[in-house]
Amino acid sequence: MASRRATKERAAADARPPLRCMTIVAQDPGLTRGGRILTAKVAVPAEDLMAGPMGYRVQVVDYDSTRRYYHGSHVLPATYDREPRRWRRGEPSIVKDVRFHAQNVYALVMKTLARFELALGRRLGWSFENHQLKIAPHGMFDANAFYSPIHEGLLLGYFRGRSGRPVYTSLSHDVVVHETTHALLDGLRERYLVPSNPDQAAFHEGFADVIALLSVFSLPEVVTHLLTPARHARNGATTIARRHIEHEALQTSALFGLADQMGQELDGLRGNALRRSTELGANPKILDDPEFGEPHRRGEVFVAAVMQAFIAAWSARIKDMGLEGQRAFPLASVVEEGADVADAMATLWIRALDYMPPVHLTFQDALTAALTSDTQVRPDDQRFKLRHHLKTHFAAFGIVPVKAKNGSPADCWTAAPKDLRYHRVRFESMRNDKDEVFRFLWENQEALGLQTDAYAKVISVRPCLRTGIDGFALRETVAEYYQVARLTPSEFSDRKIPLPRGFLAHLKRLKLERDAKAAKRSKSRAGALERDGLDADDGDEPSPDAGIDDDDSFATAIYGGGVLIFDEYGRLKYHVHNRIFGRRQKQRLKYLWDAGLLTARVEGAGYRAQRLATLHRMRSIDARKFPAEGW
Amino acid sequence: MPKGPTSVEIRTYQVGFGDCFLLSFVYSGTDKRHVLIDFGTTGLPGRTRRRSAHMPRIAKHIKSVCGPNGLTAVVATHRHADHINGFGTDGGTGRSGSIIRDLKPRLVLQPWTEDPGAKTDARKATRESSRSRKSFVAGLAAMNDVAAMVASIATKPPAWMSSALQKELLFLGQDNVANRSAVDNLIAMGRRPGSTAVWAHHGSPSGLERLLPGVTVHVLGPPDLTQTEKIRKQKSRDPDQFWHLLSAGASTKGRNLLAKGFPSGARAKRHPVPPAARWFRDRLERLNGQQILEIVRTLDQQMNNTSLILLFEVFGKKLLFPGDAQIENWSYALGDAPDAAKTRALLAEVDVYKVGHHGSLNATPKQALWERFRKRNKGLRTLLSTLPGKHGSSRSHTEVPRKTLLQELEARSILQNTMRLKATSPEPCLLLTLKR
Repeated sequence: MASRRATKERAAADARPPLRCMTIVAQDPGLTRGGRILTAKVAVPAEDLMAGPMGYRVQVVDYDSTRRYYHGSHVLPATYDREPRRWRRGEPSIVKDVRFHAQNVYALVMKTLARFELALGRRLGWSFENHQLKIAPHGMFDANAFYSPIHEGLLLGYFRGRSGRPVYTSLSHDVVVHETTHALLDGLRERYLVPSNPDQAAFHEGFADVIALLSVFSLPEVVTHLLTPARHARNGATTIARRHIEHEALQTSALFGLADQMGQELDGLRGNALRRSTELGANPKILDDPEFGEPHRRGEVFVAAVMQAFIAAWSARIKDMGLEGQRAFPLASVVEEGADVADAMATLWIRALDYMPPVHLTFQDALTAALTSDTQVRPDDQRFKLRHHLKTHFAAFGIVPVKAKNGSPADCWTAAPKDLRYHRVRFESMRNDKDEVFRFLWENQEALGLQTDAYAKVISVRPCLRTGIDGFALRETVAEYYQVARLTPSEFSDRKIPLPRGFLAHLKRLKLERDAKAAKRSKSRAGALERDGLDADDGDEPSPDAGIDDDDSFATAIYGGGVLIFDEYGRLKYHVHNRIFGRRQKQRLKYLWDAGLLTARVEGAGYRAQRLATLHRMRSIDARKFPAEGW
Repeated sequence: MPKGPTSVEIRTYQVGFGDCFLLSFVYSGTDKRHVLIDFGTTGLPGRTRRRSAHMPRIAKHIKSVCGPNGLTAVVATHRHADHINGFGTDGGTGRSGSIIRDLKPRLVLQPWTEDPGAKTDARKATRESSRSRKSFVAGLAAMNDVAAMVASIATKPPAWMSSALQKELLFLGQDNVANRSAVDNLIAMGRRPGSTAVWAHHGSPSGLERLLPGVTVHVLGPPDLTQTEKIRKQKSRDPDQFWHLLSAGASTKGRNLLAKGFPSGARAKRHPVPPAARWFRDRLERLNGQQILEIVRTLDQQMNNTSLILLFEVFGKKLLFPGDAQIENWSYALGDAPDAAKTRALLAEVDVYKVGHHGSLNATPKQALWERFRKRNKGLRTLLSTLPGKHGSSRSHTEVPRKTLLQELEARSILQNTMRLKATSPEPCLLLTLKR
């Protein structure tokens, strides 16, 4: 009897589908139709959820740190059909339903995680050791939301809007996905939050915006709503006129239309990314403008390029599908294509991450990575022409792919050298063993341009299986490594990397202070020893006459690194890297010093990373920093 | 009509963490005209000093210096307590403001942000901008509300809050709350028959020249909204909105939202925090404290940037009094304004520099201002009114006064520093005299 029951249960468990559906707010409570909040039904990986809800990757902790109040461990409906009807209908009461808020954030985080895993063809970890990302849907009273790696979680704030009504960032689709993307990107590229160059900090914000916005546009419910004015919906319109699917018209209705309808109160939190993407005109010099030096502003250029490319691809696709001179198009097809293009664009950018260097990323690197990785898994770009539109719209802002060398295809990374040594490494081990990949690096130091006098470490080895939109499968192994060297000023000089003058002056000042303190200590010790009738030895106090040039207590760390992409046979396809002693280091160090992100200290200079919470607040008040003017 | 002053006496008063400067333009033995720039404190040196005793003492000294002619002008550079609470007529500073009021200043000069007319001026700054003087000033008022909430939290801190955090929140919160009594007294002094109130911005008249013959006064900051919005290449959102959202409802029902939030959802019984959630709960609470600190630091800086920046020219000498202006305020005068080159040329020849914001790290622009002073090592005089241990921390290199700046001031200028003046000394000020 017992074994029959167990068999029955096992059979039931095996019959459970891998996905389940949940209701979420399609954009935010500001997007309504017929008095109801626009909702969407999304598929997320199925799992046995505990009260919280808590699953294998996410733990919702509904604790309000302002009120010091725990809302309780929420038990979510087991299936979509068991959800309260008012959730699915989007009734206004869901704004006050904290259980629904918990489901909303859980579903959006899991959907985004699943999206990344599908695109990258493997499981993803967080940047911290634990398995679960914590989420506080009502974390504190604040017009802010952010990811914090050291707290291993997302904090979503709440506040009162201008109308006096409560505003919950946990109900904003793009805000939740934006923060989740920060967490996922941090897990994939942990050094992107370390200061490097203006593009890298901007990329974190810009990329998170892009994924968030494309996530919204990939919902047919949202696209239908934006393309169908309410009166047409009431009349049951099923077609859309050609003039409304031209590039400019789509830009106005889709991008601008969404920007306009997004909850106004969250404008500050979101920055102006979506609105800017419609306003920023072609300007190849825009990134040289000091107004676009701040990460949140610079990131808007990245968003504008991607979103304008998305609209161009969508418009072109619809026209390609139709007949010459066709005046109206089926609404359902236009919506479906829009959602598909958004989905494909998001996938393209997520996959591109594997082809980006692990340190010192620039927008140019990001674009080249996107074009290269997409070529690998989707050689045929005829359907959406995404690569063509991306190149065009990035070029409008002065961002062009890195020039390929050695006869490699244009717009792609240069192929890896052919004369590499494989005979001492084992292919199977290289698919998941960091030591084996390190051995490969060791065997090929010269060919790969590694510095032998710098510390090297393999950070990750990730086998993946990617499937293109046409079923084409691609097996790769992606391994990241970085290099670090702590150099004295004279060692920098030997490698022809001059340190910023102000930084050197500061180091010298620190040395003088340290030596003065040491001399004082020495004198007092000598005095004490003399009183005790003992000889004072020289000790190991540094000579006050020695400069900082060779004193390694004033060493500054410098980084380089790369990503190795192996094909299914274990052969290196690409080596995307930034040399640790390369020419670009001089410019980077100058930028870091001028931006106040490089601090001179005894026992090693440091890099001052900015918290994402602070970055978002700066974005809210559109603040500018002038660190070169500070003391 | 006198031609011009024969000397200028600058008194830097000991007000601890605060500013109070009396400029006396001497035309003759009987004709001295006095301009009081700021009068406030948020912390006095020594343990036993009370503001209600100390500030009236300062005010009486100012009165004795001014003599029967009283004050020519009062300048309140911006609304921070450590610059204006001495003008209060309530008990907080021992009614020191009443003594100042009785000196019947003929001019009260403040930044445009304090103009009561700005509160209702809803015209957009430019055609391309969504900001108006009304929205900007309303934003400042919202900041005052947020500061009051922060000060209240720090007065009754939750158990998890460290004493260091509490101290900083209390200091910044109190410095940024609205000083009703001081503001009212400044307005009243400006409205008195025979007096004028002037609200200035970059390039506008100060109103001081007609009262100080032979003295030219340049108003270098703060920029007006029209000035800042015009130079933007991209239309800005309404960044003032952020403060409204934080303070919204604070004044309705008297609820401190930063301390108490508001209930989300239907009222339910209190749930115990399960073991699996406690680790994150503890970190959320500490994060809450960090966020509140960040909020109040941000608004403190924004408030500093409403500061008047005045440059006095008298018998060829240039005296710079920038209040607490930080680099964002300076950037307009030094870089973005149409007359920026002329301003930079003027500032290169400064003889006396009142160190901005009590010697903080970002109120003496290093490259754009300090390194262009030609008289460093050649007789440049600097005046510093400050008190260490009140603001910022050395661990994060934000201590006030900033060590690196102080070293530079001592090495390259003749520094008068109130840190060296005991609160109990018979003369409550340092004196610098410049002669023609």
